[in-house]
Amino acid sequence: MDKQKLGIMEIEPLVRDRYIQDEFSIIGKRGIARMCGKEKAGGRAEYTRDVKLPGMLYCRIMPSPYAHARIKSMSTERAEALPGVRAVLRYDDPELADKPLFGLETKFNAGHLASDGQAFYHGKEELAVTQEQWKQGAGRVLDGVAWWEGHPVGVAVAADTPELAEEALSLIDIEWEELPLVLNPMEALKPGAPLAAAEINNRNNIIRKLKIEHGDVEKGFKEADKVIKFDARRRPYSVADAEPMSDVILWRGDNVEIWAHQQQAYDGKIIFGMKMGIPLNRIKLHVPYQGSQFGGGGNPMMHHTHGVHIISGILSKRTGRPVKTFYNRRDNFYNLSQDADCHTTFKVGFRNDGTITAVKIDNICAKMGQYGIDHFEENTRIPNLALNYLETNINVAPAYWFRCEQNHNALCLSIVFDHVAAELGMDPTLVALKNDGTEGRDMEYLSKFKKEHGFPDRDSLKEAIELGKKAIDWDKKWHLPGTKLLPNGKLHGIGFTWTHEWDDTRGVACAGVLMHCDGTVDILSQKSDDGLNAMTTHCQIVAEEMGLKLEDVNFRFFEEVGFQMMTPDGSCNLAVDAYVTRNAAREAKQKLLEYATTPIKLIDITYPPAFPDNYPDDLDVKDSVVYLKADPCINVPVAEIVKRATLNQGGTRAPLFTWNWHRQGRYGTEKGRHRLTRQAYFAEVEVDPGTGGVEIKKIVNINDVGKAISPETCEGQQYGGDYMGAGRAMAEEMIYDPKTGVKLNANFIDYKVFTMRDVDTTVNLLLETGMGYGPYGLNGIGEDIATVVPGVIGAAIYNAIGEWVDDHPMTPDKVLKAISKANVKRGGLK
Amino acid sequence: MIQKQQDDGGNKKVTMKINNQEYNLVIEPHWTLRELIHDKLGLTGTKEMCDKGACGSCTVIMDGRPILSCMALAIECEGREIETVENLEVVGHPLVDAYANNHAMQCGYCTPGFVMTAKALLDKNPNPDEEDIKDALEGNICRCGTYPAHIGAVLEAGRKLEGGKK
Repeated sequence: MDKQKLGIMEIEPLVRDRYIQDEFSIIGKRGIARMCGKEKAGGRAEYTRDVKLPGMLYCRIMPSPYAHARIKSMSTERAEALPGVRAVLRYDDPELADKPLFGLETKFNAGHLASDGQAFYHGKEELAVTQEQWKQGAGRVLDGVAWWEGHPVGVAVAADTPELAEEALSLIDIEWEELPLVLNPMEALKPGAPLAAAEINNRNNIIRKLKIEHGDVEKGFKEADKVIKFDARRRPYSVADAEPMSDVILWRGDNVEIWAHQQQAYDGKIIFGMKMGIPLNRIKLHVPYQGSQFGGGGNPMMHHTHGVHIISGILSKRTGRPVKTFYNRRDNFYNLSQDADCHTTFKVGFRNDGTITAVKIDNICAKMGQYGIDHFEENTRIPNLALNYLETNINVAPAYWFRCEQNHNALCLSIVFDHVAAELGMDPTLVALKNDGTEGRDMEYLSKFKKEHGFPDRDSLKEAIELGKKAIDWDKKWHLPGTKLLPNGKLHGIGFTWTHEWDDTRGVACAGVLMHCDGTVDILSQKSDDGLNAMTTHCQIVAEEMGLKLEDVNFRFFEEVGFQMMTPDGSCNLAVDAYVTRNAAREAKQKLLEYATTPIKLIDITYPPAFPDNYPDDLDVKDSVVYLKADPCINVPVAEIVKRATLNQGGTRAPLFTWNWHRQGRYGTEKGRHRLTRQAYFAEVEVDPGTGGVEIKKIVNINDVGKAISPETCEGQQYGGDYMGAGRAMAEEMIYDPKTGVKLNANFIDYKVFTMRDVDTTVNLLLETGMGYGPYGLNGIGEDIATVVPGVIGAAIYNAIGEWVDDHPMTPDKVLKAISKANVKRGGLK
Repeated sequence: MIQKQQDDGGNKKVTMKINNQEYNLVIEPHWTLRELIHDKLGLTGTKEMCDKGACGSCTVIMDGRPILSCMALAIECEGREIETVENLEVVGHPLVDAYANNHAMQCGYCTPGFVMTAKALLDKNPNPDEEDIKDALEGNICRCGTYPAHIGAVLEAGRKLEGGKK
């Protein structure tokens, strides 16, 4: 049978829409309200934190008071004796013995952590530990050793109320053995450094090594007119998510129900099923709305996902009651992802015309970092690249994804390009255009690639730069570094940076389209809502494809019915998911038109169709009405067509159902799958030379989204990313006491998240070239802005003061030091 | 009515009005108003985010003023009139639609706190300008960074309110 007829897409990384529709009635239109908007604004949206079941117990897990310590002995007697305490789970409980976090047996695609052990992207990876140990870097479900302060260890207590559970924890008697600790990745590499987690690696603190080489960097340096070397550091920042973590688990006989606050809730379900020995068809998954977690809450390896499920599950089974395990705000800061502490050295060679001939990066990160070289490979023509990457273990909270795993990669690109432009005194937009390309090849190659593969051949970066320059008045405002003092006594700075799209179009999604007998449609699939407006955008797609009114389509994605979508896990959202809704909708429309033209025979009676003398191709659908193309005055409402199909037997037996499954690519960055769209960023700042304080006056984003399904949603990612990116650039940093490793700012007062007044203006422009790999030629931008904005603000600060502050966040003290340095160099600012 | 869980410990009978309905409650002395509203009464629109008076997600209106319910002890609310976000749809307040129309939310977790802060502003000033709105909302944290969209939403709601002149 023809595979296409089965609705199965080829598993091929280059699958994409070759045909871009020019006109849509619903897709891309402005003024469509968010379908989840009234629920959320009216306080009716339910989050896992809000779930309360009859008889529910509340579970708290012990946070370690030490950054590195081992439990020598533990007594739970006093806690167990507290009235209202219903169950206590100890780390030495036999049921936990075979339940480490994650593990090699979980052989399914979990983003980068593909089970076959291949390296991320390109290059060769060397694990200093076994892969299983590496994957257990987040700890065990409950263990007797703590690797960071706040590590959930030792014991979990379920009680009638949250207060009783908390009180019970205070009654646990533990004798701890404190162990030596190390908090800085550079210190961790020194000979004789304390071992951060001897259970994982008892020889040193190295977790992973990676070496990537393209071309010959030494040759590239020789070909350069100038070679520069410099260092940069990016300190760890926390996901600082909105909704504190919790889950609820309820056993019903042989069946289990889970309420999950988790982006990759189905991964959590799979791991829970494997660890607990429960078949997947006995696990019912509810995924309410999700308070933002930006990937930091989605990692399937982490304790707050399946680790918490296992604890809740064991306690629910033992007590016969639903159990909610919950983190408080401090727990959240301790256990959700923070971005890695990165120490990076650059060596860059370039010619006087701005052509970069070689880039060498030596990058040392704590926990799970990012290489730093990826964006040079993916969207430049620089022929000679070299990376030495080293990942170390230290005694701080876990570092994994947090909008996004490309953070350091994007920052490295920004820093290198802006340093080169500064050294040459060149406009940085020209340096970007000079080096745009892919995998060491130029734009001519890319142009040929686009034509050969059916893409529009547009110069995305050039178009984005032109739009951005106009929006920020670049030609008038750009000046040489440290040369513009404003009448208010502040230094004016303006910056630019760029990168590629965030399509990462790869992964698996499936969804059903079900039409009820009143002509309304449900999209069937589980998807975790992380604020990306998936509810509306998928309804727009289905309504558009089927010719329905938008209000006739609904998407309540909270229950897992066997279909799951990618949920910005692995950075995939519409770019993968929209294929399945689009394809299922197209098939559903065809079925609908067949119903409209096919007689129904029931034993001895034949019921005529709504259009007895026509074929499906004679008809079309608009505004939920089926009409004859040759004479639109002849029309029948969709509801009437499907009502006939059910033969008016009443009830809501759905007469029409289609489904689609789609798998595309693997990592999204396979060789030969070139990134085609570009993103440009401009920023304007004012720096107070007396205090080092930086005011962000304007950020301009120009994002080539390929095709915007919902322009307001794209803009939400743009300005939303601005505030997060600006916060990362200027303020966000997890601070640890250097002696004890205790987190000093694990709350929203001391950890500075940017608010309404912290950025003056954002200008958000969408470019739609249709060059994305997603349906309709779209690509994602959700992770792009927050990831890249720190780089452009760094460039603007440099332009203001004439000295680099390559230590993020760029707090006033660091800016002030850089101003002093500039003053010394220049003999004082005029 | 919530049953008294213990005879000792300083529990106290408290009467208050929430969303125009009278509640006679027995309150444990350590309960915050947020815990009472969200955990005990099930009005879950009043969200727990920072639990330390830093983010505004648990904002309710008490006697006409927006307050942080995580920083108020329920036991001290005798005789108070409290409005939670759930009341807005009941009374048909235009903020709810305006927020949806303007996409002034992403994950939505902090949104009710913004909405109640904005409601308190509009109660006093149905014709706020952009600076008035920023003054009112600048203390609320939205990790998704939806800040610019709130301006449009509150302006739209203001226009729709009776007496709005814009």
